[in-house]
Order: sequence, then structure tokens, then C-alpha cells
Amino acid sequence: MSDYQFLPSLPLAFSQLAMIGALLALGLLAGEAARRYFALPRITGYVLSGVMLGPEATGLLDSNALYDLRLVVDLSIGLVVFELGFRLNFEWLRRNRWLLATAIAECVITFAAIYGALIYFDFRPLLAATAAAIGTATSPPVVMLVAQELRAEGQITERMLLFTAVNTVFAFVALTLLLPFRQIERAAEWEPALLYPFYVLAGSAVAGYVACLALLALAGWLGKREGRQPILLVAMVVMTIGVAHSLKLSVPLALVAFGMLCRNLDRRHALLPVRFGELGQFFFVIFFVLTGASLEFGAFGVAAAGAVASFVVLRFLGKGLAILLLGRLSGIRPGGAGLLTVALLPMSGLAVVMVRDTVSLYPSFGRELAAVVLSAVVMLELLGPLATQFALRRAGEAHPEPRTRG
Amino acid sequence: MAETSFTASRGMTVGVELELQLVRPHDLDLARDADDLLARLGKRKLPGAVKPEITESMIELNSSVHERCAPLADELDLMRRAVAEEAGVMNLRVCGGGAHPFHDWTDRRIYPNERFRYIVERYGYLAKQFTVFGQHIHVGCPDGDAAVYLVHMLTRYVPHFIALSASSPYYQGEDTSFQSSRLTAVNAFPLAGHMPFVRDWAEFVEYFEKMRRFGIVASMKDFYWDIRPKAEYGTVEIRVCDTPLTVEHAGRLAAYAQALSAYHLAERPREASRAVYLVNSHNRFEACRYGFKGELVEPYAGTKKRIGDDILETLALVAPHARRLDCEAPLAGLGAQVRAEASDASWLRARHAARGALADVVRDACTKWEKRDI
Repeated sequence: MSDYQFLPSLPLAFSQLAMIGALLALGLLAGEAARRYFALPRITGYVLSGVMLGPEATGLLDSNALYDLRLVVDLSIGLVVFELGFRLNFEWLRRNRWLLATAIAECVITFAAIYGALIYFDFRPLLAATAAAIGTATSPPVVMLVAQELRAEGQITERMLLFTAVNTVFAFVALTLLLPFRQIERAAEWEPALLYPFYVLAGSAVAGYVACLALLALAGWLGKREGRQPILLVAMVVMTIGVAHSLKLSVPLALVAFGMLCRNLDRRHALLPVRFGELGQFFFVIFFVLTGASLEFGAFGVAAAGAVASFVVLRFLGKGLAILLLGRLSGIRPGGAGLLTVALLPMSGLAVVMVRDTVSLYPSFGRELAAVVLSAVVMLELLGPLATQFALRRAGEAHPEPRTRG
Repeated sequence: MAETSFTASRGMTVGVELELQLVRPHDLDLARDADDLLARLGKRKLPGAVKPEITESMIELNSSVHERCAPLADELDLMRRAVAEEAGVMNLRVCGGGAHPFHDWTDRRIYPNERFRYIVERYGYLAKQFTVFGQHIHVGCPDGDAAVYLVHMLTRYVPHFIALSASSPYYQGEDTSFQSSRLTAVNAFPLAGHMPFVRDWAEFVEYFEKMRRFGIVASMKDFYWDIRPKAEYGTVEIRVCDTPLTVEHAGRLAAYAQALSAYHLAERPREASRAVYLVNSHNRFEACRYGFKGELVEPYAGTKKRIGDDILETLALVAPHARRLDCEAPLAGLGAQVRAEASDASWLRARHAARGALADVVRDACTKWEKRDI
């Protein structure tokens, strides 16, 4: 038989590359089918194909496979939050002071609403606060992809992206600040417990800052011709993701800081406008398939149903209240506040990552939290893209014609 | 017919329309927030008017009617400030320039009103390609006959207005090698060009009625001529200018049009001549392509001249009227610019050379128009 050693042995072991390719192709087809036959956003198709492949359905993607593909998830998140950070224009906030006030109020009121609801349902304060922090964030990849897909442009779209950037930063900072309490709950030492969030916050900011300075210097040397800059940009983003990972910093915080600083510190305008375009699409597809596969329908329980429903409803109301109260002052058009609130509905797929991190750090703590948060994620991951699509279309900001060129 | 009865203008009045680019700061491409911006500007008390234009990436400033160019310039600056402020609140930037250097015309969206929908229906893709930005200058005329005469006279100076305002060297991401590429987009329309050689208002009305009977035009607005009489306002409208990069320059161009018209209407130095129209498209091309360095054929004498030199001579010729109208300073500004061969187009090219990308050119143009200090 040794003569036939060149043949593969059975059962076939598929390489990661084959898997990534297959996920990409399947996701793409499912997304297209969702759009073509059901007029759903492509994201919904990606997510549903993930659900079908995931442990909850066919099990083709088990938790080991998901863990192996962590790299892809990290890369996708890094690229997305970098681009989102790059959209955050301090100059706009300076010229429209009510805008930042509204964005912060949106975070605070949403956080308070969810926190209050969970306390009412007898969750421990720390647990409630963690879940509320996670719930405050709108999903950056969902809003960015839906906006991209619809070629949406305009005031509601811009504000949606801005608010998403702000509430994502808020959520990650809040989660980091809650870390010492969690450690103390586990009867850990005070000192390292207090240093931990400081290390993560300051470290991520410094990582973003250093990456920004390096990128600006290199981009200045490279110049702007012949399309070399996007390659440099991707290189620096990927490198920063890796460094943040190795230093046990927060990848999203480091990358959002990186993007934000690049946009606002580039006084000499060394950088070209950031658009990941095709590359972004590639990551988006895999990211949402994996998100779908990670959804835990098992978390749904009759017992938690009330808490989950309150979580979802109060989250929506919290966002709405802030935007309705202050939206007009920041110059939103009449009727725009409601649409903006709906557009912000998608809950962060990052929540899955956040919960995963918590589960791996503090097993028992995480499971309690998971039931509520992951159930909300399931609902909002499926409804969210639809809501954003509806809001942007209704606001008249979606482009009426599909793109005709490749 | 209201459209063909000429409203008399008193005195030597002047007014300006400026089409402006709305730009989004994150990638410096054209934005599409005209509607929201107009809604906000609608709440402010402004002397002139701000209006929508064919695509949602444009707005148009209309000045009120002025007898002197200094208050006109002040008014334009007041409107500039209001527009820049409101745009800042909405994360928008605003700039002049005859064309956006790199926008993709297929991305443009038509402003939803009846007239613009009709234009799209009629002209198809030309309508979206028509996302170019011009300055129109209205000069008041006492009657229709004077307006017809003035159109024939001013046509000789079309290359001047093109060269002085040229600010669209880039189009669809390329350096066109032109100083003004914008007029090329206008040329594509079947009713572009110039007014026919009619002798007086009665003959003009006859021509218009005939075109209407043929079903070729529905109203005067359907003529996209370089210079056209506008009976409703009682003006002659010069439409060949690119929108300059600053409102000051727009004011100077208006002052030049006013002095030039005053000279012709007061002195009637020449009879209308068909020769003007023989050389017109050659001269126009020279101005678009080479600006001040272009060579025009002087239609009355049949000689060749550099456009820049011809402008300087003309400035001297109209100087007495400029003095009478208190617009010597802006004309001196134009003269200095011609001597320095400094046009907005050359400024834009210099920015591109310094910065390296067209996005930066747009940003710098916005900073210049908005008068931001960064």
C-alpha cells in the first residue's frame, strides 16, 4: 500500500483555508439569495447560513472550528472599528456641540435603562452593569455594511455611524472599568485588580497612538500615488491587532483609537481617505457567517424571557429617549430622531466576543450573563440589519439604483 | 405672453447666481445633503436666496439685485458665512470650482423636484453629468432690444469670462489639460450654444415662438446658451463662468460684467456683427483649453490676440465706466491676476502638486471658500 501514500488518508482533514473559502462562498450565496428572494439585507443571509452550519443546527462548524477562526474574527473587528474610528471627526463635534452631548446621553440613558431593568429582574448589580454595557453598543459591522450595501449617504447615516462609534467606545471602556469589580468578587487582590483596567485602557490608547504616529510617518514617506497606501494601511491595522492581542489589550479599543487619531491628528494630510471596500467585504462575509454560527439559541429560556424582552425593549427606548430629547438641538431633521433610533438597533456582534471573553475568564459569572445577553443578540442579530435597512431607506438616504460597475 | 415680455430694469444693475459643491469631509467626495442644508438655511434670515440644483450635491446662492458691486460682494460674503456655518453643523464642507475633481457621476442623485425630474427624463445620463458648478451673472437692461444688442456685444468677451473664472482643470479623477473643463459638459446638450443672430427683441420673440411651435422648447429655460436674455428679470445672463474658488472673485467677475455692459449700452461702440459668431467656438475653446494664454481671433479686426492681453486692453477701455460705477478696485484685482497669470485652475494644480492627491485639492478648496483657519 505504501506505493499509494500520495493519496490523502481518510477521513479527509480539511485545512483551514478550505474552510475559509467554503464559508466565504456559502455566505456569499446565502447573502445573495436573501437579497434576491426575500428582499432581506445580505447580512441576514450571511448570519442565517452561519446558523445552519453552526453547532445549533448541522454542527459543521463546531466550537473548535470557531475557536480556530478567531483570527478572522479579530481581523474583521479590527478593520471595522478602525474604519469607524476614522469616520469620527472631532471637527464636527466642535462645530456641533449638541451632537456629542446627544451621543453621550444616548449611551448613559441606554445603559441606565438596561441596568434598571436587569436589577428589577433580580440580577446582581455587577452582572446587570456588565450586560448593560454590552447592550449599549450598536454593532459597528452591521451599520457599516448595511450603509455600504445601500450606498446610503446623508445626515441619518452619518449620525448613525458617529453614535455607533461613541457607544462602542463607551461600552468597551465601561466593560474595562467593571473588570476590577469582577476580580474583587472573585476575592482577588485589590492592587492588581485596580491596575488591570488602567493597563487595558491606557495601553490600548497608547498602542493606538503609537500605531497612528508610525502610520502617518510611513504614509508621508510613501506618498499618495499608485495606490500603495491602502496596503500600508492594512499592514498597520493587522499589525496593531496582533500587538494589542499579544499585550492583552483591548483590540477594539486600540483600533478605534488608532482610526480616530489618524483622522484627527493628520494635520498635514498625509493619509488618503480610508475605504477598505472589497477587502472589507471579504472579511464581512466570513465575520457574519461566524457570528451566525456562534449564536446560541439554547440560551433562550422561558425563565429569562421577561428579562430578555425588557432588555431589548428598554435598550431601544433608552436610545430613543436621548435622541428624541436632544436630537433637534443637534440639528437633526424632523422625523429623523425616530429613524436614527431604529437604525441604531443592531446589537453588537462584538457582544458575542465580549461574552466569550468573560466566559473564558470567569466561567460561572459568564454563564448567567450569557443567557440574557446572548438571547438578545440572537434577536437583534436577525432583526437589527432589517431595522437599519428600513431606517436608512425610509430616511431617503439609500441610493435608489444598485451599483452598475464592479 | 409673460415669458416674452421684457421687464425693464432701472439703472445698471447686477446680480449673481453661484452653484456650489457640497462635500463630505471623510473622503472629500460630493455629499448629497442639499435638502437638509437648505432646510437649515431656510430658517436663517438671509438677504438673497439659497436654492436646490439638479443633483443633491449642489446648492445655488442667489444674490439680490445691486447697483454697486461693493454691497454685492458684502452680501455674497454674508451668505458664504451662513452656508459655511450651517454646513459645519452637518459635517459638510462647501467649495467653489467648476467641477468636482474626482466624483463618479453615476453616484449622483437627482434633486427631487418636477423640473429636475423632467430634465433627467429628457436628457438621461447628461443630467447627472451636468453636476458642474457655474456662476451666472445677470446684468439689468432697460428693454428687450438693448438686451439683444448686449448679448451680441458680450459674446465677443465670452473667452474673457471663461479664462478669468476657469476653475475646473480636473474631471473624473484626471487632469483634463484644460483650464475649464466644465463647459464641455454643457456642450453636450442639444440646446446649448448661442443665441441666433436676431436684430431686435421682436425678432427674438418670433424665433422663440417658432421653436415653441415646433415643440423643440417649452420655455426659455430650455435654452442652455452661453449668454441669454432673461425677459422675466429684465436682464442679460452670462452663463459661461466656472464658480470661482472664493466669493470675492465671484464679485470681481460681476463687476467686470457690469462695467463691460455699461460701456456697451452707454457708448454703443459697435454694430452687432455675425463675425462674432464665426469665431466664437474657436475663441471659446482657446479660453477653455489655455486660459489667459489662449489666442482669440478678434472678430471685428480679424487679428489674433492673447486672451490675457485682450482682457487687459478691455479693462482699460471700460475704466471710465468702472469709475462711474465705483468698481475700480475689483477690476484692478482682475488686472493683477491676469498679469500674474494666476487663475483658480492654476491654484488647484499647484495644490495638487504640493499635496499629491485630488482629495487634498478638494479639502484645500473648501478651506479657501469657507475661509477656515486650518
